[in-house]
Amino acid sequence: MNRAVPVIELHGVSRSYGTHLALQPLDLAIEPGEVFGLLGPNGSGKTTTLRVLATLIRPTAGAAVVHGHDVVTAATEVRRLIGVMPEKPSLYERLSIRDNLLFWADAHGVPEPGTAIAAALEFVGLGGRERERVGELSKGWRQRVALARAIVHRPPVLLLDEPSSGLDPSAAVAMEAMVLELTAGGTTVLMNTHRLAEAARLCHRVAILRQGQLVGLGTPGEIQSRLLGHRLGVRLGEPADAALRAAIEGAPGVTGIRWEGSGFRCQLEDAGRDTPQLVGRLVGAGARVLAVVPEGDLEAAYLELMGAPVARLDAAA
Amino acid sequence: MTTLQVSMPVRALVRKELREYRRHRMIMLTAVILPIAFLVLPIVNLVLFNAETSLGGVDLAVGQAMFCFFLTPVIIPATMAAFSVIGERDQGTLEPLLTLPLSDREFLAGKVFAIVAPAVLVSFGIYLVYTGIAFVGTEGEIRAATLDWTWPFGFFLLTPLLAGFSTLAGMAFSVRARDIRVAEHLSGLVLLPSMLPLMLVVTQAIPARPVTWLALAAALVLIDATLWRLALRAFDRERAISAS
Repeated sequence: MNRAVPVIELHGVSRSYGTHLALQPLDLAIEPGEVFGLLGPNGSGKTTTLRVLATLIRPTAGAAVVHGHDVVTAATEVRRLIGVMPEKPSLYERLSIRDNLLFWADAHGVPEPGTAIAAALEFVGLGGRERERVGELSKGWRQRVALARAIVHRPPVLLLDEPSSGLDPSAAVAMEAMVLELTAGGTTVLMNTHRLAEAARLCHRVAILRQGQLVGLGTPGEIQSRLLGHRLGVRLGEPADAALRAAIEGAPGVTGIRWEGSGFRCQLEDAGRDTPQLVGRLVGAGARVLAVVPEGDLEAAYLELMGAPVARLDAAA
Repeated sequence: MTTLQVSMPVRALVRKELREYRRHRMIMLTAVILPIAFLVLPIVNLVLFNAETSLGGVDLAVGQAMFCFFLTPVIIPATMAAFSVIGERDQGTLEPLLTLPLSDREFLAGKVFAIVAPAVLVSFGIYLVYTGIAFVGTEGEIRAATLDWTWPFGFFLLTPLLAGFSTLAGMAFSVRARDIRVAEHLSGLVLLPSMLPLMLVVTQAIPARPVTWLALAAALVLIDATLWRLALRAFDRERAISAS
């Protein structure tokens, strides 16, 4: 991703509630079109960060800026630029889908609200259902309406708090697809999520927070590599003989190896550099290579950061 | 409020509020049943008036009827005002609502207008029905007293101010209280004693002259302006969402 002027900037933003420091000074810069994930357990400061950017709470110290507008001194300007989807759909249940969206479109001064509402509902798969009362919809459909509401005025910045919370797997996948489509159109997305696999698939970069402190920042791949090293699982057509084992254990870049049946797991100094050489050496030694799979994922990295032993995850798997 | 432009977001908020009130059973009951009761009672009073058996005479009878009409713009907004902010919080809609491009002043102004406007319209409506019935269906002393111009003068002058008073008092509690019933009870505690001056006028303890109405109106303007400032000062976005 090209470096561009950040859409969202946090400069030493912290937030206290009484004596409790909910968010320690946080610096972030989120670029246009980026999907940025905030990960962390409950109480880690994710929602606090989102609320600061949504102008709902003020930072105790530091400054948060959206498209050049400070969230405290230019809050109304910021509100024009953001679309917010809270964790709960937070819709007017007595009103119809259309009336919910019409309120938002009118409040943002959308010139042709009818067209904008139809487009937003079409986008979330609710085309033609605008007359239905929100109170009669399932949780999944309400989430879709909440997303439609957040995008009806086509904001350049979307703040999503657990967008797939409580959704069944197929609805969650549909939500992911919608977020990806929005970013393809240039929208910048900042999202909180507990779903690490979702974050790994969706987010260009993630920040991992623990007890209000930033403990990890980067692409999901960078975080995995940094925390878990460069691990590889290799499956062979038949168990390795002593000669093959010796050849592989002495290969450059291989820092550890564990043989398991007709294959092995190894630790490399640099997976990008060493994997092709290792595979070449295997093929050169006459081995049938069935699969080469990088090991470890964002979830393992996350648990590592949270203090849970990764080995236990491996064992459980 | 003079610097407040009726911006697009405020108009949108007012329209949303009115749509929501129409679908809120409790609010509709308050806004429909109470005015009907406040219309029927004075009409019964008119129809059954008997100068020979009436204890207070015609002026007291008309004054009692007028008290119902003065109560209408006070009672109707009370529930709506208490609901306005706490209701949003209880149904989980306050947080996204506060991310709309509305300043605190615009947010409260939209909420206040959406309550005051229907309360005033309903109050005017039932009073016009009452005077129409009095015009057509009564005669003599009771007709003259009912249609005496000082009553509509006072009523049309004070009704918007009374509705504003009730709304702003309810709103001041709604932005701070954590429960709708608490806000309703607290605003009731403020509203009912404040009806005492009106009670003195309608019972003829203070003559219902134009100067009396003007004095009451001036007092209400001051009270409403003070309550507006108090509500604006009491409104704190963080506090409003923190109880959710």
